[in-house]
Amino acid sequence: MIRSMPFSSLPSPSLLRCAIALIPMLCFGLASGARADVAGDDMPSVEYRQTVMSIIGRNMGAMGDIMKNRLVLPGHVAVHAGQIAEMAQLIAPAFKKNVATDLTDAKPEIWQDWAKFEAAVADLGEAARNLEAAAKGSNAASVGPAMKALGKSCGGCHKPFRRPKEESFKTKSQHHDDDGDEDHDHDGHG
Amino acid sequence: MDLVVSVLAVLAYATIAHADSDLERGRRIFHATGGCSCHTNYPDEGEDAPWLAGGRPLETPFGVYYSTNITPDPETGLGRWNDADFIRAMREGLSPEDQHYFPIFPYTAFSGISDRDLVDLKAYLDSLPPIKRANRNPDAAFPFSWRAPIAAWKWLNFEPGRIEMVPDRSTIWNRGNYLVRAMAHCGECHTPRTPTGGLDLSMWLAGSLDGPEGELAPNITPHRATGIGDWSIPDLVWYLEMGIKPDGDDTQGMMSEVIEHGYTNLPASDLEAIASYLKSIPPIENELRSK
Repeated sequence: MIRSMPFSSLPSPSLLRCAIALIPMLCFGLASGARADVAGDDMPSVEYRQTVMSIIGRNMGAMGDIMKNRLVLPGHVAVHAGQIAEMAQLIAPAFKKNVATDLTDAKPEIWQDWAKFEAAVADLGEAARNLEAAAKGSNAASVGPAMKALGKSCGGCHKPFRRPKEESFKTKSQHHDDDGDEDHDHDGHG
Repeated sequence: MDLVVSVLAVLAYATIAHADSDLERGRRIFHATGGCSCHTNYPDEGEDAPWLAGGRPLETPFGVYYSTNITPDPETGLGRWNDADFIRAMREGLSPEDQHYFPIFPYTAFSGISDRDLVDLKAYLDSLPPIKRANRNPDAAFPFSWRAPIAAWKWLNFEPGRIEMVPDRSTIWNRGNYLVRAMAHCGECHTPRTPTGGLDLSMWLAGSLDGPEGELAPNITPHRATGIGDWSIPDLVWYLEMGIKPDGDDTQGMMSEVIEHGYTNLPASDLEAIASYLKSIPPIENELRSK
């Protein structure tokens, strides 16, 4: 249609308006391109929160090692549970900054529903303190249920706020961890 | 007279005690199935979803099917069923009205459950609160929305019958075989399917990309690199009880539900039986990558 216009005629006002309307769109496009570049600078905060989460996972794994194999290590479960409770306090501040990067399994819902996220994190802290108390106490029968509740609190946050493994950035990327070390699995789930 | 009364009282008590133990057995079977979790719409209605009243959408490559109401409601649930109706549904995939059930209902596995266990399971289900909720038809295209072609499907893919003891195997292995293949119906999600939707038994428990609700169901054969060969029996027991993997991560998707509402409540002996059986099956190399 533009081609068929005589060269002598000026662009119609509606075309001009279109061109003006394009300016902010172009700017936005450039800005989002620039954002992708900045993502590199944001990686440290993503890596940090992934490390915090993996420390929690490691403590969960360690307690499992003790309890499922009935290792005689008095006091250890309480220490691990206490560490999880300490780490739980770091989660919300670590996630406060909404970082635009593909290298995370954190779902946007975290920042869309921050209060719910904080509440789920608080549940983790509480469940960890309960397990710590049970492990320090004299009623051995209360440890199992407290452990179960702690495990459930992981899901209370992971289900709404972490991408499932199938959709994980690690599964999607071709840099697949082929060394078969299960422990690495937890690390990327910040 | 007093004697007669006390004898009657003892007899009555004995009857009640017997009924209670049947109920307790039924509860254990219920938990061994994963708490019949498909029949509660947790994903859409949350933890307070009407328990066992169905309506949960289950995505399959053939369409979306909705689980049914298995509460004892007489109108919309199983309230009017007798034991024979229940056994036939579970063993043959046939309704009291002689309709074929869609094989999304894993009667292919439940068929292996003994009569006694089925009757006890029904007794347990009958003891639960009835909820009125009508069943929904599937959102599937022809022929997958029709029940009549299921007869052909069954002919291709289904061999009804109880699981028998294998004499030269241990008691614990036999218990595990029964639990994994029949009650816990692990193969329904963890075994890939043939183009007609039957289980590909040459890939028994080697994982599937088309699990329920479109989830990936991992390879749970003891293959070291691609399965769970590096999980010990305590790892497996702990996992089924707590939902926590050896690396400390929690469980995803539907598996977390069948653990929470089912397997976690099983006695340790049953979990050990499942673990022993899983460690005994042939390891199959099958690396699953999500689509």
